[in-house]
Amino acid sequence: MEPGMFIGKWNRRQLLMGGAGAMTVFLPFASAARATPVGEAETGTPKDGGEWTVGMLEEPDTLDGHKGGTRVGGDIMRNVVDGLMAKDHDGNYVPALAESWEVSEDGKTWTFKLRKDVTFHDGTPFNAEAVKFNFDRILDPATKSAVAIGQLGPADTTTVIDEFTFEYKLKEPFAPLYLNLTDCGFTSMFSPTAVAAAGDDFGRKPVGTGPFMVEEWIQGDRIVLKRNPNYNWAPAFLGHTGQANIETLTFRSIIEDASRIAAFDAGEIDQLRSAPPSEISRYDESGDYWVIKNLAQSVQTFEFNVTLAPFDDLAVRQALMYAVDKQSVLEAAVDGVGVVANSFLSPTMDYFWPGMDDYAPKFDPAKASELLAAAGWADSDGDGILEKDGVKFSFGAFMMSIEQFTNAAQVIQSNFKDIGVEMTIGTAEIATVISELQQSKHQADVFGYIYAEPDIAFLWFHSSQIGNGLNFPHIADPKLDELIVTGRQTVDITARAAIYEEMQKYVNDIAFWIPLWTPENADIFNKRIHNASYHSNGFTIYTAAWVD
Amino acid sequence: MGRYVLRRVVLIIPVLFGVSLFTFLMIHLVPGDPVRVMMGTSGSAEDAERIRNELGLNDPLHQQFIRYIGHVLQGDFGNSIRSGQPVLREISERLPSTLELTGVAMATAVVVGLTLGVAAAASGPRADAAIMAFALLGISMPYFWSGILLILLFGLKLDWFPIAGTGPMALVLPTITLAMPASAVLARMTRSSMLEVLNQDFVRTARAKGLRERVVVIRHVLKNALIPVVTIIGLQAGTLLAGAVIVESVFSRPGLGRYTVTAIQARDFPQVQGIVLVSAAVYVFVNLTVDLLYAFIDPRIRYQ
Repeated sequence: MEPGMFIGKWNRRQLLMGGAGAMTVFLPFASAARATPVGEAETGTPKDGGEWTVGMLEEPDTLDGHKGGTRVGGDIMRNVVDGLMAKDHDGNYVPALAESWEVSEDGKTWTFKLRKDVTFHDGTPFNAEAVKFNFDRILDPATKSAVAIGQLGPADTTTVIDEFTFEYKLKEPFAPLYLNLTDCGFTSMFSPTAVAAAGDDFGRKPVGTGPFMVEEWIQGDRIVLKRNPNYNWAPAFLGHTGQANIETLTFRSIIEDASRIAAFDAGEIDQLRSAPPSEISRYDESGDYWVIKNLAQSVQTFEFNVTLAPFDDLAVRQALMYAVDKQSVLEAAVDGVGVVANSFLSPTMDYFWPGMDDYAPKFDPAKASELLAAAGWADSDGDGILEKDGVKFSFGAFMMSIEQFTNAAQVIQSNFKDIGVEMTIGTAEIATVISELQQSKHQADVFGYIYAEPDIAFLWFHSSQIGNGLNFPHIADPKLDELIVTGRQTVDITARAAIYEEMQKYVNDIAFWIPLWTPENADIFNKRIHNASYHSNGFTIYTAAWVD
Repeated sequence: MGRYVLRRVVLIIPVLFGVSLFTFLMIHLVPGDPVRVMMGTSGSAEDAERIRNELGLNDPLHQQFIRYIGHVLQGDFGNSIRSGQPVLREISERLPSTLELTGVAMATAVVVGLTLGVAAAASGPRADAAIMAFALLGISMPYFWSGILLILLFGLKLDWFPIAGTGPMALVLPTITLAMPASAVLARMTRSSMLEVLNQDFVRTARAKGLRERVVVIRHVLKNALIPVVTIIGLQAGTLLAGAVIVESVFSRPGLGRYTVTAIQARDFPQVQGIVLVSAAVYVFVNLTVDLLYAFIDPRIRYQ
């Protein structure tokens, strides 16, 4: 990870020469998330027009990112809205709707200088008033924002400084704001005129500034986008000016895996999303498709509930961390399509510490047995299961009835059996699982997240998130809480990296998670597309692409 | 006859109220929070709690139910928690697709089932055995299995029909899938009913009078044999509506069935209640029609 060379239009040399007085200019840096080109960018004329159909797993609940909560909605909307900033192929933050930006030294005041040549799809000019409108809408309780409001952090004020300068003040520094304003699926810039006119219907046909416009949404079937003829503000790294080459972009939701694959094989859809791991090798070997893979910003994990016996004993938890054969888990869960996880962050997320692979416990059943014995567990009656004070080491692990989870759990169950620990597997569907885990009804669970920002630690580990939130281990550790809060308030990247390194080690040390694997996503593309970009967050940029 | 119809129509109201209450209790007493499901792994406890309060989800259950019924009586079925859109609107956008599939499948099942049943009853033993074997096959195949088989054969290999989506060509494979078990049931029912009637005295009389066999079968036997079959057709309507859930998922049809599964998984209370109420109304209406048809076919019923 190297610091990027440009902040908006200023370069590093100017920075080091003394910057702007009381305001520190924020140095963007190469994030671990990067983009992969799809289809070689050939020289020669891109073809104009044409259509491209994407087959997805699920349909969004709404396209209004301010209100909605689904990632798939965000993936589609990245074509319809632009972010204030963007990320290039090397993971640097670069200008998009904002030409340049500054963060005050205390990290609480963010000032954006906006491009002057941008208009929304309905002709409304894009300016600081429009940005303020969108920020205010997200923060307004009447909007009932599910995810976007949390992404803006502890908001204080939104101010229009002049026609193209917008200022956002926070009550406390909030480092994730940088990524959250770039991943514009939730913090989208919508046309104020269109929002006012459409009312509740806005989520069906939102209006942004992006290279594509929403033409129609046939509920349950497809969302059709048409290119924006006035688009001329693509981020510089795409090397593309003017409107998109592709005329029509269609997103169809086909839930059933077999149907989606059949539709792709038959040519009814051009891009296959969420390809099941077992199918990927077939497409790889055929050589007739672009198969683009990247490690997801996601970790699947085994969690202990630290308030329930026998996992209220740190020594027991630490012992079991040696007992899991993560390589076998990876094979069983996703056919090995991914990597073993030792950190709570995935390798494609910012501040992932590669040292975790050495730091974390390795698979060592003998050591696990030794530690359990030291904690007072022994098999006194010879039935193959350990006991302590007359209680058997037997517990239940709860999870969603997803094949990946249950396959992984069966490997873990077998690993534990080898050292005398009995684990039963229970499943239910998502709403029940979340509810019961929140209420401490199970001693362990298998779960996972998909999230771009390392601040995921707040949602999953902070003590305030017990009961009503996602802190299923019910961990309430003051040192961890402090690391989390400092981590999200530290805007300086070097300092922040150090905090998250310490956090990753500490999470390992207090042993309430056994990270299992990070899946590898694969999208399969028909070869008639050229010069698209596949971003490691899992979406495709079609702005500069063309199709045969 | 008039009183019969009136009584049946009036009974619909308590039925729908009971369905509403039962569904409301079920969906609220099952563990799960719609706001948390909506946010997934991206929302904090504070935000979840705030939205729950704003949606009135922390109010006592009886208060929520009374509020809901009050709105329904004014035609307002509430807004979906996930999309913020009026539930009635989302249902009315998807209902036509389900009704289309279920209607065409029902018609197909009736035509195919009755024809095969009559043929089996009126033909020789070999044809009878063949038809009944075919019926057994039809009842035994689960929707997702036969559906995917049809997709692979006719959609992928032969490329005769589209695999997913809408339009008349896309209706063929789902209809066959959905109608198969229903037509098998109707075939067997028709056959056994026909055989029963064929053994009755009045049939012997009709033949003794010198009527052609075809006239005997169609004009005299069939009408009587249809009575139990019509009842089964009414019940099959419910089975087809339920089967549509699976078939719509397999063929990616934008109908109510698939929508229902998503709504339940997301615990989207207004959506689930709206769908159940509408589905119950459809089912009640179909059975009312069947009952009226019944009374029409069999004069003995009308005067009870």
